[in-house]
Amino acid sequence: MSDYIAPLQDIRFALNELAGLARIAELPGCEEATPEMVDAILDEAAKISAGVLAPINKSGDAEGCKLEPGFHVRTPAGCKEAYRQFIEGGWNGLNFPQEFGGQGLPKLVATPVMEMAMAANLGLSLCSLLTGGAIEALLRYGTDAQKQTYLPNMIAGTWSGTMNLTEPQAGSDLSLIRSRAQPEGEHHRIYGQKIFITHGEHDMVDNIIHLVLARTPDAPEGVKGISLFVVPKFLVNADGSLGRRNDVRCVSLEHKLGIHTSPTAVLAYGDEEGAIGYLVGAENRGLEYMFVMMNEARFAVGLQGVAIADRAYQHAVAYAKERIQGKDLANPAGKSVSIIHHPDIRRMLMSMRALTESTRAVAYVTGAAIDRAHGEPDPAAREAARAFADFMIPIHKGWATEAGVEVANLGIQVHGGMGFVEETGAAQYLRDARITTIYEGTTGIQANDLIGRKTAREGGKTAKAIIAQMQGLLEQLAAAPGGDMQAIRSALAEAVAAFESCVDWIVANFRSDTLAVHAGAVPFLKLAGIVCGGWQMARAALIAQQQLAAGGADAAFCSAKIATTRFYADTFLAQAAGLRHTVMCTGAGAMALTEQQF
Amino acid sequence: MRVLVAVKRVVDYNVKVRVKADGTGVDLANVKMSMNPFDEIACEEAVRLKEAGVATEVVAVSCGVTACQETLRSAMALGADRGILVESEAELQPLAVAKLLQAVVNKEAPQLVLLGKQAIDDDSNQVGQMLASLMGWPQATFASKVVIAGDKASVTREIDGGLETLELKLPAVVTSDLRLNEPRYAALPSIMKAKKKPLAVIKPSDLGVDVSPRLSTLKVAEPPKRSAGVRVPDVKQLVDKLRNEAKVLP
Amino acid sequence: MTVLVIAEHDGALLKSATLNTISAAAKLGGDIHVLVAGAGCGAAAAAAAQVAGVAKVLLADAAHYQDQGAENLAALVLAQAGAYTHLLLPATSFGKNIAPRVAAKLDVAQISDIVSVEAADTFVRPIYAGNALATVKSSDGVKVITVRSTAFEAAGQGGSAPVEAIAAGPDLGLSRLVGRELTKSARPELAAAKIVVSGGRGMGSAENYSKFLDPIADKLNAALGASRAAVDAGYAPNDYQVGQTGKIVAPQLYLAIGISGAIQHLAGMKDAKVIVAINKDPDAPIFQVADYGLIGDLFQLVPQLTAELG
Ligand SMILES: Cc1cc2nc3c(=O)[nH]c(=O)nc-3n(C[C@H](O)[C@H](O)[C@H](O)COP(=O)(O)OP(=O)(O)OC[C@H]3O[C@@H](n4cnc5c(N)ncnc54)[C@H](O)[C@@H]3O)c2cc1C
Ligand SMILES: Cc1cc2nc3c(=O)[nH]c(=O)nc-3n(C[C@H](O)[C@H](O)[C@H](O)COP(=O)(O)OP(=O)(O)OC[C@H]3O[C@@H](n4cnc5c(N)ncnc54)[C@H](O)[C@@H]3O)c2cc1C
Repeated sequence: MSDYIAPLQDIRFALNELAGLARIAELPGCEEATPEMVDAILDEAAKISAGVLAPINKSGDAEGCKLEPGFHVRTPAGCKEAYRQFIEGGWNGLNFPQEFGGQGLPKLVATPVMEMAMAANLGLSLCSLLTGGAIEALLRYGTDAQKQTYLPNMIAGTWSGTMNLTEPQAGSDLSLIRSRAQPEGEHHRIYGQKIFITHGEHDMVDNIIHLVLARTPDAPEGVKGISLFVVPKFLVNADGSLGRRNDVRCVSLEHKLGIHTSPTAVLAYGDEEGAIGYLVGAENRGLEYMFVMMNEARFAVGLQGVAIADRAYQHAVAYAKERIQGKDLANPAGKSVSIIHHPDIRRMLMSMRALTESTRAVAYVTGAAIDRAHGEPDPAAREAARAFADFMIPIHKGWATEAGVEVANLGIQVHGGMGFVEETGAAQYLRDARITTIYEGTTGIQANDLIGRKTAREGGKTAKAIIAQMQGLLEQLAAAPGGDMQAIRSALAEAVAAFESCVDWIVANFRSDTLAVHAGAVPFLKLAGIVCGGWQMARAALIAQQQLAAGGADAAFCSAKIATTRFYADTFLAQAAGLRHTVMCTGAGAMALTEQQF
Repeated sequence: MRVLVAVKRVVDYNVKVRVKADGTGVDLANVKMSMNPFDEIACEEAVRLKEAGVATEVVAVSCGVTACQETLRSAMALGADRGILVESEAELQPLAVAKLLQAVVNKEAPQLVLLGKQAIDDDSNQVGQMLASLMGWPQATFASKVVIAGDKASVTREIDGGLETLELKLPAVVTSDLRLNEPRYAALPSIMKAKKKPLAVIKPSDLGVDVSPRLSTLKVAEPPKRSAGVRVPDVKQLVDKLRNEAKVLP
Repeated sequence: MTVLVIAEHDGALLKSATLNTISAAAKLGGDIHVLVAGAGCGAAAAAAAQVAGVAKVLLADAAHYQDQGAENLAALVLAQAGAYTHLLLPATSFGKNIAPRVAAKLDVAQISDIVSVEAADTFVRPIYAGNALATVKSSDGVKVITVRSTAFEAAGQGGSAPVEAIAAGPDLGLSRLVGRELTKSARPELAAAKIVVSGGRGMGSAENYSKFLDPIADKLNAALGASRAAVDAGYAPNDYQVGQTGKIVAPQLYLAIGISGAIQHLAGMKDAKVIVAINKDPDAPIFQVADYGLIGDLFQLVPQLTAELG
């Protein structure tokens, strides 16, 4: 069946035209990210994703991970070799500092590389994702000695990292964390159980560096009493060699709906003498650190939505071109045709395509903002980028992952019965996609963040700044020739208006009618996603039109971009008005029943 | 010992090319281009020779348009030390390329020139042999194994009936077959380092080579299409059809 | 106009591709001479003399032609080239090795792998793995050409050309043959066989390849072929490879067994008269070119087919 082919053309378009790679390459420290360099990087990343990671996606799913005696986890055949090839290529360290062996490239360059690896093999790519999170944490909050001890091997990928937040009683609400950290000289002894730990134990690396949230003896209750510890699977000797095994073990693996290549572990800390852990940063500030880190992790998980959508889309297109069934409505007397001739299949494929391209556009624009929030020399520009990125991250995470599920779901529908059976591979994408709306904060949690911290708390300031940019674009669209552009403009104008009135409503009612506002949170997130996606797609269509007029561009690509945007306008932007109603009115019904009535 | 590798920029092997409607050629607009796969193998072999301490320097050469610089960067990302682009917008036919390479070889004085056995665009399978001929050097085409010992190369070749091993006096030309090696994926740090490796650009006129084409293409056509036949339900019917319908079996 | 065909032979017999090359030469019009160079190859020269349409055979018999090395043979051909308008070689590993060497020294283009002669200076040749056919015209005084054997009939018998011994060129001593490992087979030569049975990666192992394919090839008196993936995996020797970068075949009947049908493979066999595909994947691209497709497990179907062939 169809193999993964990296969508390099759309990736490059999103990078260069929408996210502004050229500007990122001007930021201090990002000078290496020249267009030719990025081109070469993308080409090779596409090759290794398609050639090394993708081929074991299906077999890894079928085989899954196994917990073996000695608390050892065996990953599916070929995973270790593929992972090794990936890290030996230096891909793990792409956006980490050169000081510790990384390549120091901007987030925006890491973004498409991650997308391709995730699309090729979501489960396997998680290992690097979590390692990246742990690296970030140590880079920001670790001591120099901790950095020296752990970072070079983690950046090289020969050691992986994990994030240990969740406990049986503490999921979305981390204030309930109970794991204990007992001080003992230079270190602490960690006791407790962590669940759902991605790549918590596996055989692809030499050591695993766990970052663990736990409470010290006198810590205050709630979120302000949680500290962050680094707990290596094998203790590291002074000379950097591996010492004895720490008191942390994988006691079971989850049996999951998807991402079977990624072991999800239950980790027991301190069953014997207590696991040795080292405090990262200041005591009791662990959760605060985690929240800073979480932005990056949420960004990456949002990207998983884009990636899986793209993979499912490619798969469905290939099938729709091959499967012969039914007559062409335009030629009912003719032979049976491939199903891509049928309008309903077209509608589904275009929905998949439009969602993939729009979530990608939003992701890359957000990625660029993260770079600018770190690197813009002008403090005001830096702050504006930070505010934009902070606002966009829950939208991107929530909307792109929900879109990924929707696209994978449509992908199955395009396949008909062949989608429901496992052989075609279409089902795996839905199973794999399904986790993305859950981990790193469910869609509900993202939506709460969006309406609360990101909107109401600042009186809708960033939202309004974004709306102003959208209005600027509407003016440009008004001046653009052609019926498509006008249809896009009017759909976007209505959607922006709906979005703006919802922002105002949330700001006005957040305190006074908090239940109703929270009931509308996820619909609002979806509305925000659709509007931001439409905004970026409309920009893309405008640029495509200009490129076509200038000549020399790929006419097929540009006209498809315009047509996809038009479809997006009529299909998704058109939902905005309905969502406005839902945002503002769903609360009444949602909260109407008493608990007993359920 | 210096090794020269010739690398060509061609349509990526995954692309299914389409003949232009006006019959003037194939449609190359916005088509993905890559290094010719056989050249990639040649480059990998050169780099392995360097890693094995046999070669001291690997120089990649490409002849063609400005964008061939990307191909040279790819070669350098695989491990070539520097690149030379003989830049020309003109159509370069194998004889012209061989002459350009001859001029470069005369300057660079390599002991070994590695090339792909053929380029997957025009499928000519000529340049290596032509270069060897112009230099008066021995050649080993279709190589599946190369061993260098002193001033001799022992090369195993894939020939029609099997394999043969030749011993060549260096300097020599070797062209790679598919099974010579499996090229590595370029590592990210190497891609970044490649950017900083020297890349010289020269013109055919600097080398005093006349590159005018000797063959003119009158037309390019789509080959006759084979259409899908029928599915047969079982072996019995297959044999029946082969005997009585296709008449290819007695 | 006189054409020189450089014969590929084994000392005693002409290789069949030489006969196809002579047919291509006949399409040009003009006299056809055949050069037979080797060591103790008088029998091959005599065989060449009997090929219909051949006007003269040149025989260069010297020890240093024994190995058919490109350097010495190219030099010999060059010495003769002055008398000819066209030099033709088969597009085999033998011909491809020599023709460009000759052309370069003559300072003329070499025209590879022609499938048709349109005029004395105009030829058709496949490019892009056979996905396009280019008609090219040469402006050079001498045309150095390699000929795709499957595109031309084999020349018949009935000639009686004189054999003229010519002086051998010097031994350049640039290269030395150390050894050959030729695949021994009693089967017909792959490139010329009427029936080819080819196995792909679907065969699963070298043992399976011979266990399942030998019997059917025996029954059909067929040559065995393979996809690149099968060769790379070690199921079949490398000279079995059919495709863009392997052998080009155009048999009456081609059986593709456990081969998916990548364009590079199709490039080598799509001119077969009848293609049969056996594959368990109904979507395998091979079915788009197969005249008869049988969907199912080859490990069941191939033994059935062998039995059915009786
Ligand atoms: C495969 C997998 C891998 C994981 N990897 C890791 C990992 O590496 N490290 C780690 O620490 N954790 C990991 N997790 C845990 C994951 O982050 C949690 O599952 C997630 O945060 C949700 O927590 P929960 O499962 O306890 O659900 P709950 O918090 O119990 O949520 C249940 C439902 O309630 C909703 N909800 C909860 N609180 C609120 C609220 N305040 N407002 C509105 N709705 C609310 C949620 O949206 C959800 O719909 C992983 C989980 C899985 C399944
Ligand atoms: C530069 C270049 C040149 C190339 N040149 C050539 C060339 O000259 N010749 C060539 O062949 N390839 C060539 N290739 C490789 C080509 O692209 C393909 O990779 C190759 O042809 C695939 O071989 P395959 O069909 O045997 O393997 P696969 O594509 O893996 O197909 C195996 C097939 O076997 C079927 N199968 C498996 N088990 C069974 C069973 N039990 N029963 C029935 N069917 C089964 C499967 O359904 C599948 O269709 C070249 C590639 C490149 C890049």
